[in-house]
Amino acid sequence: METIIQVENLVKQYRKAKEPAVRGVSFDVRAGEFFAFLGPNGAGKTTTISILTTTLAKTSGTITIAGYDLDKQPKQVRRNIGIIFQNPSLDLELTAEENIRLHVSLYGLYPYRPMYRLMPADYRKRVADLAEMVGIQDHLFKKLKKFSGGMKRKLEIVRSLMHRPKVLFLDEPTSGLDAVSRRSLWEYLKKIRDEENMTIFLTTHYLDEAEGADRVCIINQGRIEMVGAPHELKQQLISRYMLIDAADRDRLRQELEAMQLRFAETDNGFQVRYDGPTPQAIIAQLQTPLSKLEVYDPTLEEAYIRLVTRQEGGMGA
Amino acid sequence: MKSSVFHEINAVVAIAARDITRSLKSIQSLVISLIFPLIFVGLMGETMNQNMGQGLGFNFLQYMLVGMVVNTLYQVTIAGISNLVEDRQNDFTQEIFVAPISRYAIILGKIIGSSFSSLFQLVGLVAIALILNIPLGGWDFVRLLLLSPAICLSAGALGILLVGFVQDQRTAQILMPLVIFPQMFLSGALIPVNHSTGILNFLSHIIPMTYVVDLAKAVFYWRDPAYDKIVMHSPMLDVWVMAGFFFVFSILGTVLFARAERNR
Ligand SMILES: Nc1ncnc2c1ncn2[C@@H]1O[C@H](COP(=O)(O)OP(=O)(O)OP(=O)(O)O)[C@@H](O)[C@H]1O
Ligand SMILES: [Mg+2]
Repeated sequence: METIIQVENLVKQYRKAKEPAVRGVSFDVRAGEFFAFLGPNGAGKTTTISILTTTLAKTSGTITIAGYDLDKQPKQVRRNIGIIFQNPSLDLELTAEENIRLHVSLYGLYPYRPMYRLMPADYRKRVADLAEMVGIQDHLFKKLKKFSGGMKRKLEIVRSLMHRPKVLFLDEPTSGLDAVSRRSLWEYLKKIRDEENMTIFLTTHYLDEAEGADRVCIINQGRIEMVGAPHELKQQLISRYMLIDAADRDRLRQELEAMQLRFAETDNGFQVRYDGPTPQAIIAQLQTPLSKLEVYDPTLEEAYIRLVTRQEGGMGA
Repeated sequence: MKSSVFHEINAVVAIAARDITRSLKSIQSLVISLIFPLIFVGLMGETMNQNMGQGLGFNFLQYMLVGMVVNTLYQVTIAGISNLVEDRQNDFTQEIFVAPISRYAIILGKIIGSSFSSLFQLVGLVAIALILNIPLGGWDFVRLLLLSPAICLSAGALGILLVGFVQDQRTAQILMPLVIFPQMFLSGALIPVNHSTGILNFLSHIIPMTYVVDLAKAVFYWRDPAYDKIVMHSPMLDVWVMAGFFFVFSILGTVLFARAERNR
């Protein structure tokens, strides 16, 4: 797969900050990939996204997006990207639809017309479809001042999807959204990803959203801790285990020892790690009748928390 | 190539339309459009006219009306541009700056949008003039209105330079009156400055608005017996100075503003 975002040694030192917010970050994202950027508050996610989307100047490093050098061809880069900012970036004096109309005109998608009715039918259909997808179709012509936080978020989602960017940056797009809207946004993103091979660059604090990513990049205090597919990260960070128990515990213990497995005995039974062989392969070899069998596949969230707290010298490890 | 020019123009139009929509919706600006002329022409102008306006050789209230036209266009345009500082504070500039358009298109759209807002305000001024029975001057006034785009562009360029330097709203709120009021008094918009001497004379020669006011008066009082008493410079000089200020301010301002947006 071709590389669509390439970042090398990115450093950002804010003018008014003592320490750099991003300290030499390198990674790449492939075309069509769903790339999740994870990290605690203040890790440098928004800073990185702002630089990638040309709204913030970097201190040093090289960046290429969709084949264009960010320094030399910012306009071409902008043409190929879309973004939902972490902080709402809307004109509250205008109606929802007026905000969308301004956006499509800035991107040269449709000629500007002073009224919605005068806009091309194609535009009106797309606005209606997207608004329905997130459920704000009844509020399109209301002033944004009367919108709730979640409704504003939805409007920004509609707006960013009006032009079909090659890379869509989403900085915590689902914060403040209700469960139904979150679900329908993810379904829609999946759909357009399949249809248009759109690359998605996401930051989120909901680990279950990153679970479906092709690759996850964990950033902490301006440095990348790990990059990999969710299952790889889990494997590296926490071993998976199963919990088994038998009426004849002594016999089971002897069997486990003979197989040279790593295990711990608890009141609930034996915690057996299965990093190499699958649980099935282990069970197939056991003769002792089991009274309990539970297989634990850790979530990305567990792995992530383990990693981040380890850094802080906290309760982890 | 052609389509990219169209794209930029489309963006300029959309950005300008945003300001126009906003000012049409704003009741606040409608009220201000009536209050300011009422204070300046109605109270200040009428008082000065009654006490000092005799023997000038021209109708002082009309003189002031012309000045107020320029002043309104000038100030409201600058105030409109300075909304960019507010936009930046509200993170709205991000949305505009991430768009694939020239930074100059953004600024030009903003200048045009603010100019239209200032033109709306003229309606209030004309209404006050009619109520106070001040002669508008017929075709002289039409000529003045035709000059309004140039007046707005000059003001817009100065506005852009200001937002290029000022990053936050509080500073902007302090700075704006410091830019607006001295120009109002030193430019000859409301009070003649032909006989100013010393530092005041010097100041009135270096501020950009003086040349805008002077050109406006030259256009309005063209072939009027009072022309020589009122107009200070040759109109060509005014035009050159305005053009010079326009290019320097708008280019420098755009560069500074775009950089301030990115260099945090
Ligand atoms: N304009 C600024 N000036 C100075 N420092 C800043 C500025 N913006 C952000 N920072 C600092 O840079 C660091 C990274 O911030 P950033 O917004 O990138 O974090 P983040 O990973 O997006 O966090 P969150 O999950 O809370 O959104 C933080 O320490 C923050 O305080
Ligand atoms: Mg952030």
